[in-house]
Amino acid sequence: MTTFFDAWHFDGQSAVRRKVEIQTIGSQFFLLEQERRHGPFHFDELRFLEAKGDSKVYGLSGKDGWRLGIRGHVPTELAPLLPASKTYGGLIDRLGLGKASFVFAGISAAVVAVVLLSPQWLAPLIPSSVEAKLGNALVGDFGGRFCDTPKGKAALAKLTRSLDDHPEDLQVEVANIDMLNAVALPGGKVLLFQGLLSQAKSPDEVAGVLAHEIGHVRERHVMQGLLRQMGLAVVLGGFDGSGGSTLNSLLSTTYTRDSEREADDHSLKALKQANISPVGAADFFNRLASMDGSRDLKDRQARTMASYTSSHPLSDERRKLFENAVVKGSAYKPALTADEWQELKTMCAQDKDVKSGWGFDIE
Amino acid sequence: MTGHEGKAPSAVTFHGSWTDFAKIALPNVLLTLVTLGIYRFWATTRERQYLWSQTRFIDEPLEWTGRGIELFIGFVMVFFLLGLPLVVMQLVINGLVFQGKPIIAGVIIFAMFLAIFYLTGLAYFRALRYRLSRTYWRGIRGGSDDQGFGYGWSYIWKNVVAAIPLYLLYPWASMSLWNERWSKMSFGPYQFESNADWKALMKRYLLFYLVPFLIFVGAVALGISAASAGGGGDPFNTAGGVAAIVAIFIGILGLYIIMPIAALLYYSKFMRVAIGSLRLGDLEFDFTARSPDWILFWLANLAILMLAYGFAFAPFSLLIATDPTQFVQQLEAGESILSVGLVIGILIAIIPLAFATSIIRYRSWKFFVVHTEAFGEVNLDRMTQSTTDSSSHGEGLLDAFDVGAI
Ligand SMILES: [Zn+2]
Repeated sequence: MTTFFDAWHFDGQSAVRRKVEIQTIGSQFFLLEQERRHGPFHFDELRFLEAKGDSKVYGLSGKDGWRLGIRGHVPTELAPLLPASKTYGGLIDRLGLGKASFVFAGISAAVVAVVLLSPQWLAPLIPSSVEAKLGNALVGDFGGRFCDTPKGKAALAKLTRSLDDHPEDLQVEVANIDMLNAVALPGGKVLLFQGLLSQAKSPDEVAGVLAHEIGHVRERHVMQGLLRQMGLAVVLGGFDGSGGSTLNSLLSTTYTRDSEREADDHSLKALKQANISPVGAADFFNRLASMDGSRDLKDRQARTMASYTSSHPLSDERRKLFENAVVKGSAYKPALTADEWQELKTMCAQDKDVKSGWGFDIE
Repeated sequence: MTGHEGKAPSAVTFHGSWTDFAKIALPNVLLTLVTLGIYRFWATTRERQYLWSQTRFIDEPLEWTGRGIELFIGFVMVFFLLGLPLVVMQLVINGLVFQGKPIIAGVIIFAMFLAIFYLTGLAYFRALRYRLSRTYWRGIRGGSDDQGFGYGWSYIWKNVVAAIPLYLLYPWASMSLWNERWSKMSFGPYQFESNADWKALMKRYLLFYLVPFLIFVGAVALGISAASAGGGGDPFNTAGGVAAIVAIFIGILGLYIIMPIAALLYYSKFMRVAIGSLRLGDLEFDFTARSPDWILFWLANLAILMLAYGFAFAPFSLLIATDPTQFVQQLEAGESILSVGLVIGILIAIIPLAFATSIIRYRSWKFFVVHTEAFGEVNLDRMTQSTTDSSSHGEGLLDAFDVGAI
């Protein structure tokens, strides 16, 4: 069977535009110029490239720059032999734009949900040895900034013991850095910064904060947060610019707030079990909040405050939580004796080997 | 002299319309949003297909044959080869600093900085090569036989040399890099030639260079003169206050209006000199946009962006304006309904912003095409297919950064 159609052609060898007729023979075709015949070519090697105005343009697999353009209405004999035209290509053309958008939106929502929710199940599956290694890689010995005196360490160990049933898988340290903060790190590491100890008025206050950080460890918030952050970074990495990072921080702060609540609950339970008064913690948060509120306080103290409140948002709710936990008439005992408290508070000053500050900042 | 000078029709013309473009850009925005940004590589491809096909050189349109998957694979490779190692290095550096080894950390930071600098140069080269190799005209494409690895080093040392005399040699570095980049590119059988002279840029560059000083000196002089005019009494009397306000105003004006305009004056000259010196076989090129064209172009883009930001943040400002204190309280209390609302709000805010940036890409391409001229002859028989390698997918690798190719 032979049929002819008007078309134009670039052979991909030179830039000469050729006016051709298509001669079809079964599943093959030739392109006929006045004095030349190009081909044969196979119809199933044709690829649809673009529709432009009233023309359709096709390429040929394996032939760089080979183009066949058919203008106007494609005759019915030829149409079924040509590859179908594409707008978006693939799945979207098959489903239609509207349906495809819904499908994609559904998949995206499911992926984000998995990334947000799965760390809760995944975090406990990570072996504690891996977590410990990660914790070590992150901080090591903190550049020799961990304070260490026998009596101070003993006081810290006693405090930890009273707040947790398995103190052996916790590593609580005091870091010789003048910053009012405390952090829980992977591998059961808890760091109390010296600035926090200096500001604290009683061991009960430190106990509240320490129990809160132990809460983060026990509820496995650290690995969860890490996994969630990494997952969101991957999933929202497709967005460029600030859109992705804004969404990321918004979604993860929602979870941070939940974690803080859980850690506070854990802290209250631990204090109760140890028979330590929550008044200390409440006082501590109260003081922080009032300092945080007075924004014109420009002294160093106020600035060191900011570091704790930025990671531990203080709300009325939170302060009330600790105040309301106080049982009137209860026979609370102090978290540490006066001597122990003194040893803990001055541990960094007594330790002659310990390095101080950040080692690189200009204070 | 005759009053009329017949102007030959331009060899490079643009036939697109922004309404047609919007029909591509809007579905692109929608699909990009619902795929959490992954569709943007295919969106870029569809945009370019349209822009290229509406651009005619002499009698035939250009054709863009790049594919979304190439850009996507490029992005994934950048993520694993560059993004992930960077995050890991960040952790290692943190660890080293904490463990009291700041010198090793410093060395690693320097090495990373050098690597990123090198890859930036490579990215510029590869982006241009990728775009040329995917651009067809009459079935013929461009490309380069060079991998660009040498260009990466040139990019480092030329920028370092430019910086030594307080960045005064910047025009030399950028022009010499332009020449080096384009001289390694080809289209069909012809090699591009570029030997633009950087010295022609120096006057404009010095103007740009001195503008901050001039603004500063002007503001200070005005402040002093106004203050002294106000009498020798209290320096904080009304006249002094007014002078201070005027000085601040000039400073802000300088920072946000005069500085960009000075930069545009330089850039306008750069493009005219750079494209004006480009040759391909018997073809010579010219770029006709002059400073006022650039300034209008920039202001219109600015206006489009402003409008988009207005649309993007109108819902938020309404939300906050109705009851600001309650809004903040609810936010602090962590009400989840509000968080969900914010997330949806941000997703919706992306729509006008993404649409505006694609309109700006349309305008940039149009601006570039409309002002490009070509002279000389093209022998169609001798315009044969490029022999450069075009098979590698990695070509799209650094185009994923979407650095400007030209
Ligand atoms: Zn916490």
